[in-house]
Amino acid sequence: MDSTSLFPLLVSFRLLLACIPLHLISGLQHDHQLSSPLTSYSRLKEGLWLYSHNIDPYAGGVFRHSPLFLSIFSTLLPPLPIVWALSDIVGAWALLRIWRARQRVGKGSGGRAGGLVAAAFLLNPYLFLPSLALSASTFENTAVLLTLMFASEGKPSAALLALAFSTHLCISTLLLLLPVLMLLVTSPVSQLASPQEFRGDLRTTCKYAGQFVAYWLVLLGASSLMVGDVYCEQSYRASLTLPDLTPNPGLWWYFFTEMFDHFRPFFLMVFSVHLVIYILPICIKFQHDALYASFLLVGILGIFKAYLTLADPGLFLSMFALFPEVYPYLRHPIVTTLVHIHAALLLPLFHALWVTEGRGNANFYYAASLVMGVAGGMGVVDACYAGLRIAFGDVAEGERNNWAVVQE
Amino acid sequence: MDRIWPRRQNGNVVRLRRRKNATALIYRNLSKITTALLATGYLWMTLIPIPPLSQGVYIDENALQPAQVNTNWNWQDVHQADLYLHHLEGLRDKNATSEQRASFIRDEFAKLGLSAATQNYTFMTPSSNITGINAYAILNSPRTPGSEAIVISASWLSEVGKEPYNLRGIATVIALAGFLKNYSLWAKDIIFVIGDNYLDGIHAWLNAYHGTIPQNLDTDLLELTSGVIWNALNVDYSGHSFSHLGVFFEGLNGRLPNQDLINSLRLISHYTAGVPLVLYDHLELHDAPQNSLLTSAPEFMKRSPQLREFEHRARNVKRHVSYQARGRPSAPHGLFHRFRIDAITLYAIPADGPHGFFALGRIIESTLRTSNNLLERLHASFFFYILTTPATFMKIGTFLPSAVLVAVAMIFSGLGRWVEAGWVQESSSELQPQGKEDDGKAANATIATVATLQPTWRPRQRPVIPVITTICVTHCIGLLAFAMIDTSCFLQNQVVASWILLIALGLVPQALLTIIPSHPPETAPFSLLLQSFNLCLASTVISITSLLNFSLAATLAVTLGIPLICSHVFFRPSQTSTSHFNKPCQLAVHAAYWVLTWGWLLLPQEVEKAVWNWEVLGVWFAPFVCIVYAPLLMQAGLVGLSVMNEMLLG
Repeated sequence: MDSTSLFPLLVSFRLLLACIPLHLISGLQHDHQLSSPLTSYSRLKEGLWLYSHNIDPYAGGVFRHSPLFLSIFSTLLPPLPIVWALSDIVGAWALLRIWRARQRVGKGSGGRAGGLVAAAFLLNPYLFLPSLALSASTFENTAVLLTLMFASEGKPSAALLALAFSTHLCISTLLLLLPVLMLLVTSPVSQLASPQEFRGDLRTTCKYAGQFVAYWLVLLGASSLMVGDVYCEQSYRASLTLPDLTPNPGLWWYFFTEMFDHFRPFFLMVFSVHLVIYILPICIKFQHDALYASFLLVGILGIFKAYLTLADPGLFLSMFALFPEVYPYLRHPIVTTLVHIHAALLLPLFHALWVTEGRGNANFYYAASLVMGVAGGMGVVDACYAGLRIAFGDVAEGERNNWAVVQE
Repeated sequence: MDRIWPRRQNGNVVRLRRRKNATALIYRNLSKITTALLATGYLWMTLIPIPPLSQGVYIDENALQPAQVNTNWNWQDVHQADLYLHHLEGLRDKNATSEQRASFIRDEFAKLGLSAATQNYTFMTPSSNITGINAYAILNSPRTPGSEAIVISASWLSEVGKEPYNLRGIATVIALAGFLKNYSLWAKDIIFVIGDNYLDGIHAWLNAYHGTIPQNLDTDLLELTSGVIWNALNVDYSGHSFSHLGVFFEGLNGRLPNQDLINSLRLISHYTAGVPLVLYDHLELHDAPQNSLLTSAPEFMKRSPQLREFEHRARNVKRHVSYQARGRPSAPHGLFHRFRIDAITLYAIPADGPHGFFALGRIIESTLRTSNNLLERLHASFFFYILTTPATFMKIGTFLPSAVLVAVAMIFSGLGRWVEAGWVQESSSELQPQGKEDDGKAANATIATVATLQPTWRPRQRPVIPVITTICVTHCIGLLAFAMIDTSCFLQNQVVASWILLIALGLVPQALLTIIPSHPPETAPFSLLLQSFNLCLASTVISITSLLNFSLAATLAVTLGIPLICSHVFFRPSQTSTSHFNKPCQLAVHAAYWVLTWGWLLLPQEVEKAVWNWEVLGVWFAPFVCIVYAPLLMQAGLVGLSVMNEMLLG
């Protein structure tokens, strides 16, 4: 089955699912694995209700979505499941386009592999379930993929605008700014096997950075005009100050429930800076392949982000489909997969043990989220290793025995 | 130890080499490691009843203060209970309808001055509709706004002993209602529930109380409600008198109540009423009749106190596993567990004496006083335990590793298969072309000659997509089988339908095998990859279930462990007769896998009960067996069949 038939099939399946009201789906909306306080559908609806009744939705500390959602869902269209399905489809399409740009295959060609790339996005349970739960993380992921798509296709303005939007939806995406700028001035084609020094034009890069800041400020200004600047406090700063400690599969919430108040600011700073630390090393080591660098940073976000949902590691896993050239060099793909399966099963079970059955406690769920963190870490480390290892290439049979390995 | 550090820069080489050697060592001894892990796991499981693994129970929650109060339940109240019993016996002898019974009980509650009501319910199940009427009453707490509550319940029927009606239990509850009302010390509302039938009455009441009415239950919300229920005691007193008090504690889907509740009851029953507490209806060691396994054993074994102790504990553990693994509530209290309520059943073990209403009333009164002391839900003691005797228990650390060790053995062996699938051995000379076929397990004869040549290993591709598809298909077949079993027409013609389904499902692996594309010669064989995935998946299932429901995980470890690890060996034609494969032996292995996978279909009562439990109570056991357990074994059977095929095709 090639992409020309598989992709429409998946799309129609996804649309069908959005149209059928299933009993099971309504239960997903309150699942802590699938939506966080920043992305939850019930909070979105509450915000919309407050907004339509002329009450400041940001005043109560319940609504933390971007004002963009307020404006779209209160004027253009109501928050129907079909919007999430469409966003998913756009995301899959963007992933397909990135893949085509990287493999340098034209539209329509690419055959079976292209269909599999779309399937890797649309059938990934980590992305599929949050989307069914109507979590706003679906839109965040689509925005990230659109950014990378435009950047891969060499459309700087569109890419930077998309990046401004995705940063607006989730401030942590700012991590991707540097690799996206690098991608804009280089090519998306795989350079992993033949690393070269970064040859992009620094001046153009700075110009693009300025353009991004301009877009971002315009979005900020527009949002402030709409709801006043309280929203910055409620939605932007939430990722940095962690006001809502609702459990999620990430690593932040438990740490900060246990924290004495006077240490809080310090550790908030440590956790936030920790995320930023990864940008430079990854971008320097993978300066020859900026798309791979952004892939790794998406993986980092999928482990260490504040208010993590399953959609974040899901994006990383789906993006693996873009880099088939590294598969032979992965060291332990099956072990990573198994740890992911364990984590994906443990999270809902331990959540139920703690919250529903009352025979476990928060430590159980946190232990499961640590397993999730380990699974994510193994994926990133392995991807990093394989991305570097590929440059060495295969060793000829005869040569292997008298080969002294000197790494570092 | 010869440390060779000739030059500084060789440190990395040494490190890498050491790592490589360690990996090679593990891989070389993989079968030994797996065997050792399996043996340890199974041995540990059989040693669960030995006394050194258990420890004494203790009260962990200081607020409970069990058996520290003077009880006021007196002969006057016993007389009241006798009067109620007399009326109830009249109703039983008249074959009174549910409605008559419920209205009698409601009226009695109302006469005592409590707010009382009844609840009609109907469960629609594939086999039949179950209707009934519950009666309940609420004693509002004189001291608090009634944000918390304790439940005392009794069902109309009893299923443990010989006597089918739980009349004395109900009489106790009504008499207690009248008695407890006279005291102003209750800090929680007390709810009295008399459930119709055995399990479904209480289940319908609980669902209506919590507003979680499932689609197949037809009932209204309750007229009277109270606060959050923290604890519940269910009374089962069906005999004439009792000698011991038995405690039942397993809940729905294997949830156990907080151990403090059981420990408090044990102390109260011992110190307040002088009634010994036992587990289930298993009498104590020295009181138990000699109907044990040891009766046919030689005299010296029969006398051995250690063996008798072991046997006694093993009986308790076995009973526990039989309830917990099937997710079945051991008595009506188990239904409360779904709603995060710690509940137990007090079972008065029928005997000629010496105890009756007097002792039971005092025990319940004192237990209620203990529960009344709680300022927060029971949380301190243990939720994961095995009670080996009423006074000793096992912590999770002393039994969980047994199942996890088996799971680790399975995942190791699965990963070993994965590595094996990734490489093909190539002999460097043309002398031994057939050495390739044996998947690196060259027969002894070939090894001798190959050993002189340097064998080289070449990586090969591992096509995973057909394997993943096969796994998904088997689980879908399991789902289909469950959907078929869960219909009324299956349950009505159960015997015929079981046989048809059994034979149809037995043919599925054969049918699947014909559609699986044969692998290109340069890629890994299908059977190896399928076995690898099968083992990893089964191991994941076992290790994850082990915390939720240890009994189920242990059962899975026993039934899946060896059949899955050895599936490629059992089906392999014996090496001595390489030309023909051994027909009768193959058939026997085939039949054994088939019976292990779907043989339970031929236990009509078990199947019916499991389906009923799923439909009415929401016990996950039936779907779990169909969708997880059976497909895993089906995959193992498929591994065996494809091994056979691959051998035949050369």
